[in-house]
Amino acid sequence: MDSEAETLFTLVKEKHGDRIAPDELEEVRKAVERIVESSKELREFELGNWDEPFNVFKPYRRDGE
Amino acid sequence: MTPVYTPLRELSISVRSGEVSPVELAETFLERLETHGPKLNAVVTLTKERAMKHARRAEEEIKEGKLRGPLHGVPWGGKDLLATAGIPTTWGAAPYRDQVFERDATVVTRLDDAGAVLAAKLAMIELAGGMGYRQPNASFTGPCATPWSPRHWSGGSSSGSGASVAAGLVPFAIGSETWGSILSPANNCGVAGLRPTYGRVSRHGAMALSWTLDKLGPLCLTADDCGIVLEAIAGHDSRDRSTSKRLYRYVLKRDGLRVAVPKGVTDGVAEPVRRNFEDAMRAVEGFAEVEEIEFPEFPYGAVTRTILNAEAAAAFDEFTERGLARGLTAPECRYGPYAKTVVLAVDYLKALRLRERMARIAEDVMAGYDAVAAPSRATTVPEIDKEFRKSTPGTARDVMGALGNGAGLPAVSVPSGFDDEGLPTGIQFMGRAYDENGVLSVAVEYQSRTGWHKVHPERFTP
Repeated sequence: MDSEAETLFTLVKEKHGDRIAPDELEEVRKAVERIVESSKELREFELGNWDEPFNVFKPYRRDGE
Repeated sequence: MTPVYTPLRELSISVRSGEVSPVELAETFLERLETHGPKLNAVVTLTKERAMKHARRAEEEIKEGKLRGPLHGVPWGGKDLLATAGIPTTWGAAPYRDQVFERDATVVTRLDDAGAVLAAKLAMIELAGGMGYRQPNASFTGPCATPWSPRHWSGGSSSGSGASVAAGLVPFAIGSETWGSILSPANNCGVAGLRPTYGRVSRHGAMALSWTLDKLGPLCLTADDCGIVLEAIAGHDSRDRSTSKRLYRYVLKRDGLRVAVPKGVTDGVAEPVRRNFEDAMRAVEGFAEVEEIEFPEFPYGAVTRTILNAEAAAAFDEFTERGLARGLTAPECRYGPYAKTVVLAVDYLKALRLRERMARIAEDVMAGYDAVAAPSRATTVPEIDKEFRKSTPGTARDVMGALGNGAGLPAVSVPSGFDDEGLPTGIQFMGRAYDENGVLSVAVEYQSRTGWHKVHPERFTP
């Protein structure tokens, strides 16, 4: 298992382990792995310091609102 | 005439002319909801008392010549995530089965103002699918069936909205989409479903799954009906700051339509879906200029998925911390929220930063086109008692869904035919932000040349 996913899975178990049945842990682990895979995909894409998030999101049209 | 399976434009004429009265309409559809709803697991709550009160009011107004528009006196059903004063709003989830709000959602108020008559709160996947369901039995009301087959799923998460329209239990319904939840039931039930531009319709009073992805929209018999309903519910709302101040009027463009098809759009798509899509595109070529386009490589899925995971985890933080997920129906939803709680803030923000790039890609690639066409779903309709991956395995990436929802773009799904088992398939037309009229123009013209929307499931046809 990827070390980042392992660390985050440990965090999930720390926070919510008492609510997850033993037979469900494997599925939760796979879900954490998928989340980390998505994050890594995002991190591969380079952005500049000036690239801001859509804080108040509005669908983009070139001719404006 | 029977009002069942009558499109809104014709139904409106019948109501205004007095051929059919709002009270008769309400009685007819309430009876159908009561009789057929349980067969499909499509209905959560009948709003009989409210419906009859509003139908009588509509009847009096129409008699007095006070006409409110094409929805006046027309019954409808709302996905059970729309708040309704004094009537339970369950969000499809057992832990909320007794939840009652004091006020109506804005969309409910808008439809009241248009004279429409709320007849039922309709079934949905628990918490709009935000906990990661993997099979149809993920609602406390049971798995919702498509009216085309008791053994197959209605789609979701706006399950009852799609099934009720397809079975003729309501003339139209309201659903919601975060990623696929309007287009999926429209596809599986063989009806029209419109996902409006993000911010076109107020989300106030609707359950939040993902604040920046959730959209409310209509499911109807035809694309034309969707335009009529959208005009009634669209508009700025001070209680939802994401709503646009752009005025929406449903106006069709008749000439010079241009439709794009993304390169490789049928790669990995089930054979009957591909075949029907290609047939549908031949019909589109009869009235529109069709060209191939290519969306550049980009982490579309990762962007939208990360936003959805992080916002869903935050929206249901208290629910998760209180351990309420244990009360959900689908076993996978009972532990579904926990993994989502560890999306790192920096990754969520990276997704939000990439979202602007994604929106610009969409705008650049789609400029000059009224719609981008694709199959509504890559697979055929799943079986009702199996996990999706076992029932309908597939390899196609949902770029249209990721891009369309991530960038908040409108799309309409309409029927494109049937597979070998007699189950519906759909074609979607996705447009630029705020260009619902573009996608509706293409869909309405397509439907004027095809008859799939006029075919209804036999066991529900009066």
